[in-house]
Amino acid sequence: MSGILRANGVCKYFGGLKAVENVDMEIARGDIFGIIGPNGAGKTTFFNICTGIYGPTKGSVYLEEEEITGLSPDKVAAKGMARTFQNIQLFKYLTVRDNVKIGFHLHTKTRLLDAILHTKAYQQDEKMIQEASEAILERVGLIQYRDSMAGMLPYGIQRKVEIARALAIEPKLLLLDEPAAGMNPQETMELAEFIKSLNAEGHTIALIEHDMKFVMNTCNRILVLNFGKKICEGTPEVVKADQGVHEAYFGKGIIAGEAVK
Amino acid sequence: MKDKLYGVLAPVKKYGLFVAIGILALLPMVVSKTYILGLLCRVLMYATLAGSLNVINGYSGQMCIGHAGFFCIGSYVEAILATRMGISFWVLLPLAGAAAALMGLFVALPTLKMRGVYLAIITLGFSEIIRLLALNWTDVTGGAMGIKNIPVPRLGGIEFSNARTYYYIFLAIAVLFLFITRRVIRSRLGRAWMSIREDQLAARSLGVNTPAYKAVNFMYGAFWAGIIGAAYAPYARFIDSTIYTLDEGFNILSMVIVGGMGTLTGPLAGSVVINVLTELLRPIGQWRMVAYGVLIIVMMWFRPQGLIGASDSVLAGRDIKMKKSGEGAK
Amino acid sequence: MEYLLNQLVNGICQGAIYAMMAIGYSVVVGVVGMVTFTHGEVIMIGAFAAYYAFEMAGNHILLGIIFSFSAAWLVGVCVYKICYEQFFNAPRNISMLCTIGFSMVVKNLAQIVFGPNQKPMLNIVDNKIYKLGVVQISTVQIVVVITVVVSATVLSFFFNKTRWGIRLRAVSQDKTAAYMVGVNVKRTAMVGNCVGCALAGVSGMLLSIYYQTLQATMGGSLGMKAFSSSVLGGLTDIRFSALGGLCLGVIETLGITVSSASFRDIFAFIFLILMLLIRPEGFASKKGARP
Repeated sequence: MSGILRANGVCKYFGGLKAVENVDMEIARGDIFGIIGPNGAGKTTFFNICTGIYGPTKGSVYLEEEEITGLSPDKVAAKGMARTFQNIQLFKYLTVRDNVKIGFHLHTKTRLLDAILHTKAYQQDEKMIQEASEAILERVGLIQYRDSMAGMLPYGIQRKVEIARALAIEPKLLLLDEPAAGMNPQETMELAEFIKSLNAEGHTIALIEHDMKFVMNTCNRILVLNFGKKICEGTPEVVKADQGVHEAYFGKGIIAGEAVK
Repeated sequence: MKDKLYGVLAPVKKYGLFVAIGILALLPMVVSKTYILGLLCRVLMYATLAGSLNVINGYSGQMCIGHAGFFCIGSYVEAILATRMGISFWVLLPLAGAAAALMGLFVALPTLKMRGVYLAIITLGFSEIIRLLALNWTDVTGGAMGIKNIPVPRLGGIEFSNARTYYYIFLAIAVLFLFITRRVIRSRLGRAWMSIREDQLAARSLGVNTPAYKAVNFMYGAFWAGIIGAAYAPYARFIDSTIYTLDEGFNILSMVIVGGMGTLTGPLAGSVVINVLTELLRPIGQWRMVAYGVLIIVMMWFRPQGLIGASDSVLAGRDIKMKKSGEGAK
Repeated sequence: MEYLLNQLVNGICQGAIYAMMAIGYSVVVGVVGMVTFTHGEVIMIGAFAAYYAFEMAGNHILLGIIFSFSAAWLVGVCVYKICYEQFFNAPRNISMLCTIGFSMVVKNLAQIVFGPNQKPMLNIVDNKIYKLGVVQISTVQIVVVITVVVSATVLSFFFNKTRWGIRLRAVSQDKTAAYMVGVNVKRTAMVGNCVGCALAGVSGMLLSIYYQTLQATMGGSLGMKAFSSSVLGGLTDIRFSALGGLCLGVIETLGITVSSASFRDIFAFIFLILMLLIRPEGFASKKGARP
């Protein structure tokens, strides 16, 4: 299987609370994979388990068939999985460029002695970072913001900065946690286009979202969670038609018929 | 980290720096009063000591409040090995630094994955333990009687036996510290440290091995404190445990807080301010410490990053106001 | 064996005082949500308040309790207004450093006003020794333990059965939620801080009665011991913090019997390191598991 990320029977219990219960998931190379579900369904918890912020209570996670269950977030990043956060955890006081520069941490190797003596390693690293960060900012369309303090930028731009920073890792898989949160329809559309263009360049992307239209438009496969359990996985058409999904979102009854358009 | 600003100011800074160092180097020849020279020595010594604490508290956002402990280790390592085994001062300088750095590792290790306050408390306890050891371990440290007749450093015929000559040792260490630290801060290491300060979780998710980098940062700060301790011992000719109290640790902390955290010049300014204040307020004795406490509180209220501190960091403690859509491009 | 049992009793008594200090600390940290370095100085102020109460009006223990409680409460108000009120939304380091500054001010002022030397606090309680089998217990020890137990019981009642108690618990769990149901978060946080400080003050009195001495510089190591004890409770859980205090008292007392009195504080430090190595997050009651 040319899967990038595979989750097997992942469970996460916080004491008596079963936040995630026996979730299987497979993301294939080149997917734009959506994870949706009502509030509190366990989506972010599941993400956090994949990226190493929590270890699962049960189950395992594989990145390109290599087990990464329980690895710490920095090791997961080193294996090639980058993520953004629900509430945009940018380095607010640093410039946009400095935010992106830090993303290159994994791809540089300057050590204490290198820094002190300005060895070749140091010089190469600094040059590479300078050029590569410019390149990413150009690609993402943020070059005019490069010296702005990240925290002062509009929400939509901040979100892009966070994605640019994550791209600096050159990830095999990019995870976006509610990237469209807090955006107006215009910004949301631009974001959808942006994600699709990233995907066209070969990036595999997984995202959590609430905005149904956004997910249906952007993703080619979707996983639906409710109360920590998987209730459906498949293409947008499959998910749209699924009875379990309807019930999860709209309950049973007549009104459920007026579901996702 | 304002690249453009540095671009414009770089030539000014470069020449200004050499001019400043030149002036500092010539100072002892102009100043005749030993008292003033002593003050200058203290300012330079504390500039490095506060600077080393600033690397920990200001650049990586950790909280060390027992820095006197590393200062103490440096002094005693130098004093003991110099008086008992006649090892040269110049060898002992880096050795004491290494000893302090090693202790720094032991101290920080248990709390690397925990909230900052745990490290703060451990450093407090550690500082006191070191002082108690120095006071009670009479066989090794001389106990309450301390260590006296610490040999004076010699270099090619020059004896560094008074403030006028020792000034150059403190100056050299301060310049070396600033030079090296500046290079480290502007490298991958410094960026990793600052990312930890700004948002540890984000830093970790970008691949920064936060516990390891915090440990290296802590050891770096402890290293230089140990070096200053080793430099101080032969200057004072006599050391005992009463120098390395918690109050001394708070003294150093005040310099960092008042002068500025997260910048290279902040601790320098702090050293000047606090040491000059110490001299001016000498007549009022213990009220000095009260004044420092008040200064810290005032700083936290009005300018948490310190006088010359990093205004572009979480240290400044203020909320960032997001600009409206469309604005913000430079 | 008999010696050991007696030392155990001593340790429990010492531990009871530490428990009270730790309870106070965890109330402050739990309700306000910020860590403090002022606890040791508040303990010291309580001791001195009791000292002067006894000097002026005679050796009535209740008087001492009232004075130390009130003096510490007042200091608590000052700490709140200076170190906490402004900084609810600021990075935690800032309020922490502010409390360090505050403790510097109090500690040095105290040395200036009260003098730096030890002061005797003799015979506040008419000390008799009682024999319980092989074990000896003094009146002082009984008074100490009773005071601590009664205080803990009153506190428990206060927290669980009164309106204020509910407010305090709400604020300690989730300030925003408490605010939204109409709790005056700032005032509640202040009350919580003052309650914790008042407990510290009374424990200061108990300490100085027990050791028959007090000193303006006693705050530093005591604050550390309060913290070390509270680590068992994750800094916020009252019961486990109290347990931590008890353990610390016993370990410390037994420890100095095998070494010497001057190593007393080292045991608190070792206790802290052990706690951090074995179970750093303590045994706090999980305040809801929102990831």
